[in-house]
Amino acid sequence: MLQSLECLPDEILHSILILSFPTDAAALQQTSRRFGQVTSEPLLWRHYCRHHYRFWDSKHNIVQKLASQVSFVDWKALYTARHRVHQSVCRLLDGILACQTGRIEKFRAVIDLGYDAKDTLLWHSQVTTGEDHLARRYYAQALLTCLHRSIAIPEWAKLRRGEPVSYERAMGAFDLFILQSGFGDLNEVQDTLDRVLSQFIASHGTSEARTPRETALLLASWLRDMNFTGIESGLEYHALEHNFLGLAIKSPGHNSLPLISAVIYCYFAQKIGLNARPCGFPFHVHVIISPPLGLDMDGKSTPGKVPGSPMYIDPFRGARETPISDLRDQLNFLGTPDTEQDVFLGPLEVSETVIRCSKNILNSIHSLTRPGGQSASVDVLGAKYAALWSIMLLAGETRAMELRHQLPCLMELFATEFPSDIFLVEKYIAPLFQGLFEHEHILESLHVMRAVDEIPKQVRKRSGEKKHIRFKVGQVFQHRRYFYRAIITGWDSECDAGEQWMRRMGIDRLQAGRHQSFYHVLAEDRSMRYVAEENIELIFPKLDDLPQDLIMVAGKHFKRWDAASGTFVSNMRDEYPDD
Amino acid sequence: MASPIITLTSSDGVDISVDRTVAERSVLIKNMLEDLGDSGEAIPIPNVNEAVLKKVIEWCDHHKNDPPTAGDDDDTRRKTTDIDEWDQKFMQVDQEMLFEVILAANYLDIKALLDVGCKTVANMIKGKSPEEIRKTFNIQNDFTPEEEDQIRRENEWAEDR
Repeated sequence: MLQSLECLPDEILHSILILSFPTDAAALQQTSRRFGQVTSEPLLWRHYCRHHYRFWDSKHNIVQKLASQVSFVDWKALYTARHRVHQSVCRLLDGILACQTGRIEKFRAVIDLGYDAKDTLLWHSQVTTGEDHLARRYYAQALLTCLHRSIAIPEWAKLRRGEPVSYERAMGAFDLFILQSGFGDLNEVQDTLDRVLSQFIASHGTSEARTPRETALLLASWLRDMNFTGIESGLEYHALEHNFLGLAIKSPGHNSLPLISAVIYCYFAQKIGLNARPCGFPFHVHVIISPPLGLDMDGKSTPGKVPGSPMYIDPFRGARETPISDLRDQLNFLGTPDTEQDVFLGPLEVSETVIRCSKNILNSIHSLTRPGGQSASVDVLGAKYAALWSIMLLAGETRAMELRHQLPCLMELFATEFPSDIFLVEKYIAPLFQGLFEHEHILESLHVMRAVDEIPKQVRKRSGEKKHIRFKVGQVFQHRRYFYRAIITGWDSECDAGEQWMRRMGIDRLQAGRHQSFYHVLAEDRSMRYVAEENIELIFPKLDDLPQDLIMVAGKHFKRWDAASGTFVSNMRDEYPDD
Repeated sequence: MASPIITLTSSDGVDISVDRTVAERSVLIKNMLEDLGDSGEAIPIPNVNEAVLKKVIEWCDHHKNDPPTAGDDDDTRRKTTDIDEWDQKFMQVDQEMLFEVILAANYLDIKALLDVGCKTVANMIKGKSPEEIRKTFNIQNDFTPEEEDQIRRENEWAEDR
């Protein structure tokens, strides 16, 4: 008998299908009854779901589905739904890359697809080849972080409305603003914490035989021994990366500021039955642990149901109880009146914890700019943006001045770095200023952003008097006077800035004054600048000579690097067709 | 020490001599050899004919020094349809031989060879339309027009790649 594909037994066909793409299985399904039946196997589609998509929107309850009987779930329908999301994301992303107009609505459409969009965005954010890979990577990553923020921000909004939010979720939200944390979902932060918790339980069991005090100290010493709290000696205390809960748990060094160490400690303590919360002691957050009702920390019953005294611990430094008298001494030293001391010795609310973390982050960023400051290993702009958002949402009405003060920073950062967040700003920031004069300003700037996005770019051909413009979009230069490197992103045949700006910058003192070509440029510090032609000295670097950061952000305007000409290939042909 | 030579008898009655270490790439043969001890008897392979058995031995000989595969670890083994160059050449045979080799690998329990065979078939299916797959593998379309229409609609999602 002649052998053919149809002679293979089902289990071998199954092995072949597992190695195939799901779209190939769908094609094979349509060839004949035999293959139609083999490719309908639910186990096969469950396999495709598991191996082709890692991140699932919470609406799917995927963990529960994977744990249930295979036949209870229509795995093929589920796969098909995910495939459709994948196609939509690809189409929308292609649209975003193809034209500078109408991007906002496409951003929104991607984010509306929810966490299911993540796998596709991740793939695109890692491409290294293809004719538009720089742009693809840039916009996929912008959307990916926007997706993460659209999960983080509602959590803080919930807290603002007074709904219960746990410490770890409210603090994990910061991690979602920085890509380096690797977290995109608050459950992932919790899962990571739970894995560590199970290590503790495996080595120490639960706490029945121990008094609350013994348990509290045991946990603190275990966390310190395992290096999960505190900062390794010799490291910069205020380093930006020490401010993130998820990063602290996940990174090999697990370094964290006292606030984060306290949140880590409290998470585990609560899970093993201790009533532990961060304590708002000034400068150095401690943990306050209250005994169960009717008992003291040593497990003895208290007379007359008087609540037992709490204990204080500083997990950042290890397993040592801090006597309350020490804390009071320090407060006295700081001149804190007795009436206010109880506030500093009481537990820190979740929203206060978030605000304190935001302040720490802004401090860390500030110390980066000091002379001798170290460079950050996490995304500074993302961290700053997170701090500003949380202050906006949680600083509270009593601090209206602070909100007003931070609003311009937030709006500027949003407009220049995170414009895909426009719907988040509309939904969560604008209402905060209802009734204040800033409200109109916010709405106006959002309106302008939308209008600019919707109107096709004015086409700038190199004809007539524009023929004499020497340099082209995509060329790299060094500034003749300030020596920074930058990429040309646009041009005007003469200086198009306002009179005031020209005067401030001394434009008329230039050799050729204001009547020379001016260029919009993306500088290596990521800022956009406006440079006179006479200050431009073209360079033709190798791609490796340019800073990684600049190459990454170049994707905002350029498709790819062209090694032969030593220039970036424009993705703004709708605006500059001849460049 | 040179590996002892053993004899396999194909389904069409041909004796084939082969190094024991080469033959032991087949878990089935390895187990039989362990059961038989050093009797020197020829081992019958009733499901595989001479041509196919020789082809399989050729593969085993080339891969005799490969590290043992890590059992049934789906994730590492099945992630990719990449096939190494020698194996690709080895699999450039007519379809009948390809399926014979796959069936033999399955019967003789040679996981790595079965895997190469499955990957080869998966690559032959890759990116083809249903009609192209039918043509490639000579598959008879036994759907009624109504069935075919329905199943086509069910799989429309896959056409737009």
